[in-house]
Amino acid sequence: MLKMHFKKGCLAALLALTTHIASADVVMVVHPSNADAIDDKVVKRIFLGKEKKFPGGASATPVNQSADSSVRSQFDESILERSSAQVSAYWSKLVFTGKGVPPTEVANDAAVIAAVAADPTAIGYVDSASVTGDVKAISLN
Amino acid sequence: MMKRILALSLVAAAVSSSVHADVRINGFANLIGGITSSDDTLYGYDDNIGFGEESLFAIQVSGDINDRMTATGQLVARGSDDYEVDFEWAYLTFEATDNTNISAGRFRLPLFRYSASLDVGYSYHWVNAPRSVYSVPFNNLDGLRVDYSNYAGDWEYNLQLSAGTIDNDFTTAGQDANFKGDNVIVLSAEAQYEALKLRGVIGRAKSTVDVPALAPAIGQLRSISPELADLVEFEDDTGEFLGFGVEYDAFDWFVSAEVTSIEATDSYNPDTIAYYATAGIRYGKWTPSLTYEATDADDGPKLLDRVAGFPAPFQGPLTQLLVGIQQSFVEKNDTITAGVRYDYDTNVAFKADVSKYTDDIDESSDATLVRFAVNYVF
Repeated sequence: MLKMHFKKGCLAALLALTTHIASADVVMVVHPSNADAIDDKVVKRIFLGKEKKFPGGASATPVNQSADSSVRSQFDESILERSSAQVSAYWSKLVFTGKGVPPTEVANDAAVIAAVAADPTAIGYVDSASVTGDVKAISLN
Repeated sequence: MMKRILALSLVAAAVSSSVHADVRINGFANLIGGITSSDDTLYGYDDNIGFGEESLFAIQVSGDINDRMTATGQLVARGSDDYEVDFEWAYLTFEATDNTNISAGRFRLPLFRYSASLDVGYSYHWVNAPRSVYSVPFNNLDGLRVDYSNYAGDWEYNLQLSAGTIDNDFTTAGQDANFKGDNVIVLSAEAQYEALKLRGVIGRAKSTVDVPALAPAIGQLRSISPELADLVEFEDDTGEFLGFGVEYDAFDWFVSAEVTSIEATDSYNPDTIAYYATAGIRYGKWTPSLTYEATDADDGPKLLDRVAGFPAPFQGPLTQLLVGIQQSFVEKNDTITAGVRYDYDTNVAFKADVSKYTDDIDESSDATLVRFAVNYVF
């Protein structure tokens, strides 16, 4: 009986852990001077190379995260609505027809924040827990 | 060869003329192996395992000449050409506005949904795009292309106007041939609304198809009737291309189809309708799919109604010649393919498929083909 309880406890802990991972919030980050109204459609267009400007008309530079990061796969699946492999297939179509260059990739949340803080045109995404005062965070949900 | 050197120097000059040129090097590779059922052949494969028919390696170099101009060159080594390296594309792109690009040089004609990335196996779920539709001898164009893309509400759309010339060696009905297209003009339009994508294309060209193996028969025909020879010959005749495509991609599953029509009325070339429909599901890293494709170029020989106007002794030989010339191009077949793609990584995919080819003209050509592939992009 004790064993049983122990197992249940383990399971609950595991469940809590996985839900925690799955619900880690991805937020968009832009330069503090950026006052544009940014929604998921704008983000999708900018990160898929369909739009080169923010709604206000200023040019936009998307900053991506490396393909093996969990925040990247979460961003790809929830915002771009494709798996990372599909996003990569999408870009290979554009790259090899000279129609586009995929966004620059950086290593982690800290690198995204550094890039965005230094560039008024930049837009990136990070785990909400990583946001600092150097950037402006925009939640898409 | 001269063309290749020209293309190479064009890109090299364009890239090196600017000290600040940002040069990007990308590449892709498809390693494809296949084997048919015993004593059969399909797409160049036979019942001994072969890797050369569809495998290819490619490198693309592109450089920004300035803020608005980019030079792109693509070097491709195809197994079917003994991996001889060829400069297949070389063009300059000028970004006229945020929505309009103008390209000049040699590039892929935007005839089909996957025209542009036809060689990039990683970009689609098949081992190779359906041959019935995609295997045409006029894929690359020397000329100009204007691309316009924009969106209206939730509709995204893209218009492409291409104009130029085509000159391409190919094989038809087992014979060496050359396709020449002058005054080629192609207009294509694509619109996307969320998961739905529609595509239409219309094109025409003054076309000449030279098949040296046909020359004796056309010569004989000419000795009886120069007029009939001119009509059956495929020389400076108007060729028309029509295409329509639809796709619904709901992420977890997708369906798509394309249908094309090729006509060159005053020639031996039969009017050709080709189409495919494909459906698949995405289950994690796995994408199983089914594809049905068919070609119908079997309208019966043209020009036979003209034979009656000739004196009786000529009617037999004329009919024989007209039928003989056209017969080898008659085609009616379909293929069903079951395949699976596995996304090993964001730049590597593994694939395998089985195709069953049914030939309605010649039953002995029926074949079953098994293929497997590795696609890589960098």
